[in-house]
Amino acid sequence: MNRNLWIALGAVIVLSFIAEFTRKAHHWWENIPGFYIIFGFIGAIALILISRYLGKLFIQKNEDYYDVQ
Amino acid sequence: MFSSFYLPPFFFLMAGAIILPLLPKFLRSGSFILFPLLSLLVIWISPFGDLLTVGFAGYTLTVAHVDGLSRMFGTIFALITIIGGVYAYYLEDTGQQVAALLYAGGALGTVFAGDFLTLFIFWEIMAFSATYLIWARRTKESEGAGFRYVLVHLFGGGLLLSGILLHLSGGGSLELTQIIRDGSLSSRLILLGVALNAAVPPLHAWLADAYPKATVTGAVFLCAFTTKAAVYVLIRLFPGWEILIIAGAVMTLWGTIYALLSRDIREILAYSTISQVGYMVVGVGIGTQLALNGAVAHAFSHILYKSLLFMATGAVLYTTGTSKLDQLGGLAKYQRWIVGLYLVGAFSISGIPFLNGFISKSMIVSAAGYSHYEAAMFVLMLASMGTFLHTGLRLPYYTWFGANWGVRPKKEAPTCMIVGMGIAAFFCILFGIFPSLLYTWLPFDATYRPFTVPHLVEAVQTLGLTFVGFWLMKDRLAGEPAIPVDTDWFYRKTKPVFWAVFVRSVNFFFDTMEVKAIAFARSVAVLSKNPVRFFMHDESTDTTYSANRYRKPMSVILFVILVIFVVFAVRGTL
Repeated sequence: MNRNLWIALGAVIVLSFIAEFTRKAHHWWENIPGFYIIFGFIGAIALILISRYLGKLFIQKNEDYYDVQ
Repeated sequence: MFSSFYLPPFFFLMAGAIILPLLPKFLRSGSFILFPLLSLLVIWISPFGDLLTVGFAGYTLTVAHVDGLSRMFGTIFALITIIGGVYAYYLEDTGQQVAALLYAGGALGTVFAGDFLTLFIFWEIMAFSATYLIWARRTKESEGAGFRYVLVHLFGGGLLLSGILLHLSGGGSLELTQIIRDGSLSSRLILLGVALNAAVPPLHAWLADAYPKATVTGAVFLCAFTTKAAVYVLIRLFPGWEILIIAGAVMTLWGTIYALLSRDIREILAYSTISQVGYMVVGVGIGTQLALNGAVAHAFSHILYKSLLFMATGAVLYTTGTSKLDQLGGLAKYQRWIVGLYLVGAFSISGIPFLNGFISKSMIVSAAGYSHYEAAMFVLMLASMGTFLHTGLRLPYYTWFGANWGVRPKKEAPTCMIVGMGIAAFFCILFGIFPSLLYTWLPFDATYRPFTVPHLVEAVQTLGLTFVGFWLMKDRLAGEPAIPVDTDWFYRKTKPVFWAVFVRSVNFFFDTMEVKAIAFARSVAVLSKNPVRFFMHDESTDTTYSANRYRKPMSVILFVILVIFVVFAVRGTL
C-alpha cells in the first residue's frame, strides 16, 4: 500500500487520540486512554484467528461435501 | 369515503406483474420501474390510518394500514425496486421481471398489512416469488437451493400460521399490535416464524445457502426484502423482548465468522447480511424509542448499501463468469467504476463516518450503551470491525486488488448496471452526509446526533486498527476451495436419514400394502370365479366356472315333471 496512505491513517488516529481528551466518558472503559485503539487491534486479530481456528476445526469442508453421501 | 377508491401501494406492483408480460418485449425493462414509482408516489400521498378494509369469512381484514413505520419500510422497498429495475434494464427475462414485481408487491403488502391474515398471505407471496429468482439461474446448485429455500420458508410460514391461529382462537385480536410477553405458545410460534425470515440462528442457513446461487439481478432483490420485512414485523410485534438482544448479538458474530471463511463473494455478502440484520434485531430487543428508530434507520441504510454490494459482485459474476474469491483477483484495472462504487457500499456497511451505515449503526450501538447493555455493545462493536474485515477489506482486496490468477472480464458490464449502482451509492453518501434527511421521517420519538466526538473517535480508532490488523494477517483471509458448513447440515447432510424416514419408509408401507391388497383381491377373485365349487363340495382342481359341469341332467327335470303329473293324475282318479 501507498506510503502516503499509511501516513494519512496514522495522522487520523493520532488526531482521534488527541480528540479523546475533549470528550466526557460515558462508560468506564472510555477512561482508559486509547482504549479503542487497543480494542480495534486486538479485536481484529482475534476475529481472524478465531474464525480460522473454527474453520479448520469443523466449519470448512471440501466443496463436494454435500454431493458425496 | 376515501377507502372506497384507494389503491394500496402493493396494487401497482401486482398489476405490473400481470401487465408486463403483455407489453412488447422492448418495452418491458423500461416499464418495469414505472410500477414501483407509482407505489412510491401512493405511499407518500397516503394519509395515516386504515385506508382499505375488506370483509372476509366474518373477519374484517385491513389490507392497507399506513403509519410512520410502514411508510419508512414501504419507501425503501419501492426505492430499491426502482434501483434494482435500473440495474436489471439489460435483462431479457420476463419470468424474472414478473417474479421481482410480485416479490416487491409481497414485501409492500407485508409492511402495509394491518392484520395477521393479510400479513400471512403477503408473507407467502414473498416466499414463492423469491424462489423463482433462485431457480431462474438454471443451474443444478440453484435448483437444489431453490427447493431448500421454499421448503424452509413453508416451514416458517407454517410456524407463523399456527401461531396466528392459536392467537386468534385464544381470543387475540386480528389487528397487528404489540404482543404481550406472556410466554404463550402462540406468541412463541409467531416469534419463531418471523425469526426464521429474519435469519436468526439456528434458522438462518437458508439465506447463505440461497442468495449466492440466485441470479445476478435476483440477489439484489432477495437481499432487500425478506429479512427486512421480518425486521419490520419484529418492530411491530416484539419491541423490547430481551431474548432478541441475545439472538441479535449471536447473529452479528455468527455472520462475521462465516463471512471470514466463505469462498463465494456473494456468500460473504449473504453472511454479512445476517450480521447486519443482527444489529436491527438487537435494536428491537432493546426496545427504547432510540433503539427502534435505530433499527428502522439501519434497515433503510442496509437495503441501500447491501443492494449496491450485491449489484457490484453481481457485475463481477456477470463479466467474469465466476464468483469464487480464490479465482478472482487484480480486476481493478478493468473495472474502475465497479470497484469504486463497491467501495462506497463497503465503507458504508463498515460504518465509516459520513456514509449512511455510520449514521444508523451508531444509533443502535449508542442505544445499547444508554440502556446499559454493555456486553451487547461490545459484541456490536466487534462485529462492526468484522464487517470491515470481510466486506470492506477481504472481499475487495482479493477480488479487485492482489494477484490475478488468470480470470479476466469476458465482456463489459452494461451501462445500466453502473447507473443502478451509482443511484444506490448516491443515496449512501447523501444520507451519510445529511442524516437529518432520514432522521426527520423516523417513526419513533427520539433524537440522535451522530457526528459527536465520542462516536467519531470510536469509529476511527476501531476501524483504523482493524485495517492494520488486516494488513498484517491478510494472507490468512485469502479464499480457499472449501465451503463453510452451517446449520443447513441438519437438513442437507442428513438427507439419507430424511429420505429413509419420510420417503423410503412411507414408500415401503404403501408398497407392502399394495402387494397385500392385490393378494387379497386375488384370493377374493378365486372365490368369485367359481363360487359354486365351494357350495357343492366340488373336488376338482378346476377353479374356473363352467356352466356345463354343474348343469343337472335333463332326466331330473323330466322325472320331476312326471312325478307331479302322476301325483295330479292319481289325485284326479280318487
